[in-house]
Amino acid sequence: MITAALAESLTQALVVLVLISGAFIVTRKDLLSLVSTYQMQSLLLAGVALSLYSVDQSPTLLYLAGLTLVSKVLLIPYIIKRIQRKINISRDMEFHYVSPIASIFITIILILLVYGAFSNILKELALSNLFYLGAVFGISLTLMGMLITFSRKKVITKIIGYLTMENGVLLFSLFITELPFIIEVLILVDLFMIVLLATILSIGMDSSVEAYQERFHQLHIEDLQEKLHLHRKHRGES
Amino acid sequence: MQALEAYLAYSMLVLAATLLSRTNRAMNLIALTHAVSCIALAAYSLGNAPMHYFDNNFLIDSLSIYEFFITGIIFFFALVYAGAHLERLVELGLLEKRNTKLYYLSLNCLLIFTILSFASNNLAVFWIFVELTTFFTAFLIAILNSKKNIDASLKYIFVTSTAMLFAFIGIILIFALSESALGKGTLNWDELLANARSFSPGFLAASFAFIFIGFSAKSGVAPFHTPLPHAYSKAPSAVSTIISAVMLNLGIYGILRTYAVVRQTSAAPAASNLLLAFGLLSIFVATFSMLHQRNVKKLVAFSSTEHSGLMLIGLAIGTPLAVFWVLYHMLAHALTKAVLFLSTGILQRQYNSNNAGKIINAFKLQPLASIGLILGGAAILGIPPFVIFISKYSILVQLAGYSLPLLLLVLLLLLLASAAFLSLGTEIFTHTQDTRIERYNAPKRMTAPIVALIILVFVLGIYFPSEIYALLTKIVSDLKF
Repeated sequence: MITAALAESLTQALVVLVLISGAFIVTRKDLLSLVSTYQMQSLLLAGVALSLYSVDQSPTLLYLAGLTLVSKVLLIPYIIKRIQRKINISRDMEFHYVSPIASIFITIILILLVYGAFSNILKELALSNLFYLGAVFGISLTLMGMLITFSRKKVITKIIGYLTMENGVLLFSLFITELPFIIEVLILVDLFMIVLLATILSIGMDSSVEAYQERFHQLHIEDLQEKLHLHRKHRGES
Repeated sequence: MQALEAYLAYSMLVLAATLLSRTNRAMNLIALTHAVSCIALAAYSLGNAPMHYFDNNFLIDSLSIYEFFITGIIFFFALVYAGAHLERLVELGLLEKRNTKLYYLSLNCLLIFTILSFASNNLAVFWIFVELTTFFTAFLIAILNSKKNIDASLKYIFVTSTAMLFAFIGIILIFALSESALGKGTLNWDELLANARSFSPGFLAASFAFIFIGFSAKSGVAPFHTPLPHAYSKAPSAVSTIISAVMLNLGIYGILRTYAVVRQTSAAPAASNLLLAFGLLSIFVATFSMLHQRNVKKLVAFSSTEHSGLMLIGLAIGTPLAVFWVLYHMLAHALTKAVLFLSTGILQRQYNSNNAGKIINAFKLQPLASIGLILGGAAILGIPPFVIFISKYSILVQLAGYSLPLLLLVLLLLLLASAAFLSLGTEIFTHTQDTRIERYNAPKRMTAPIVALIILVFVLGIYFPSEIYALLTKIVSDLKF
């Protein structure tokens, strides 16, 4: 059995790593590595839940860790990779509004702002230092996710941004309070959203392919037919 | 069996029957009975409220009943219209025939989750159902065969869900707050309202700000209104009606319930200022976006943002009378918006466009839709004797008592918004040309709801039923305003 002090420093390290993974996502272009980073982040989150469990032995935390592992580490990345293969894009080159360097700066400013703003609010909850850190990092991660969602153009990157936000909310709630059943539902809603997006996108891909073929028909085939017709006419005349 | 359980059982039956039925007509009829069952649920609950369900996670009180009524009525008219509209969409190749079942299933699911949201007593349960309504709305926007619909739908999901995550943070904060104040955490609205005075005001204000962000995205409050014009103009008209009339109310409802809790504490002025600021911003942004708008549906969409702004201002004033009129405005706005969206839907099918420049000889080709658009436009601007006049005027009177400069500012903005409607209206209805456009014969099922709604909007404008008066008074006192 690990001691409480060890568990605390382990949790601290894991939380910092989660935030670093967030910063990594903000700057990445390569879509595959974005998904893997998200996977890693979720794994770290499950680790945080486990190390908190080792201290207070609440079964909810264990359950949450398991659920995170199954859905966020295995299932969601799998679905995203499938969508990605279907859409067939590998890099999100279009940083919509902000460049990677700028986004790092924005991230740092965000974290400081959250730290400042929350020091007032959270004082009333009388949290320990570790819990305070976790809560602030949770909100920071949420804001970083939002930055990704709104600063990138590609849908896949936006999805990763949304999921990162969601991980932030999860981190936040792990440290603030023990919620009854809601957090699990949040994860399920998340899964639901991914499946829905996958459906919408596949409809979208199909319809854009159709539109393309239609145009192809109109432009080329008629052209060809006309040429063929002329050709025959020409041959008939000669 | 209790009322809510009976409704749920019936709605499951509706889903099963929709799955099994083959024809469009049958699915439409089934969905119509579903809408009627919501009105029946409201009517039954009227004499028996408040009713608690499932461990007090669900509660039907006066406010839920009122929202059930609005939801049921709007869904009913939208569904009558959708039946015929859908056939036309399939004819035009905009909707694939195999997707019609999906369309009806999603509409029914949307109705179920809307009713469940309004029946939730627990803030987190409410959040989950609202999120589910977002998904089904997005799906209904994306169901048409066009790349632009997919884009509009994705935008809608991302902005709304992102904002909703902030609401979730607010919910966690409220839970922690109630845990530290009461010893046992709760998210039930009735318990929060009863114990509000023991909560720390600063903390409560912060939670309210987070929750407000989430729910305001649902009602198209600026700056979260950005996906709405696209969503409204791309979605099938029946769906636009539902988003504008019902989903908007869902957001305002969430804000109202949480605000009622905050009003009990000394954090009330902070929350009220927040509402006022966002309300003004919404009216401002909506007005200036409307001024140069040439797309009819987008104009109507921005007008929704304007009206949610007005409702927020009414809530910010926070007197019992102001809240009373905001509640009435929810009904008035929903009915009037339905007239507008359903009329523009017919014009859109006639000209295959919402662009003012493409609409020619509107009076000759589509007299009913034109009249609907003109009367609906007059009604939404608050011209008597239509129903919005009463609620809008009364909210403005309340605003006069609150702050005169603010009233002048809002009046100026509303005047500009009227100018936008007038200029687009004159452009559309004076545009005549000798062209041989084939007339699209809108079936009775599409025109009848418009006529019925216009009559309703007119009658409610000159006659205020005492039943509604009693219900609204009860809501205001239940919310402790």
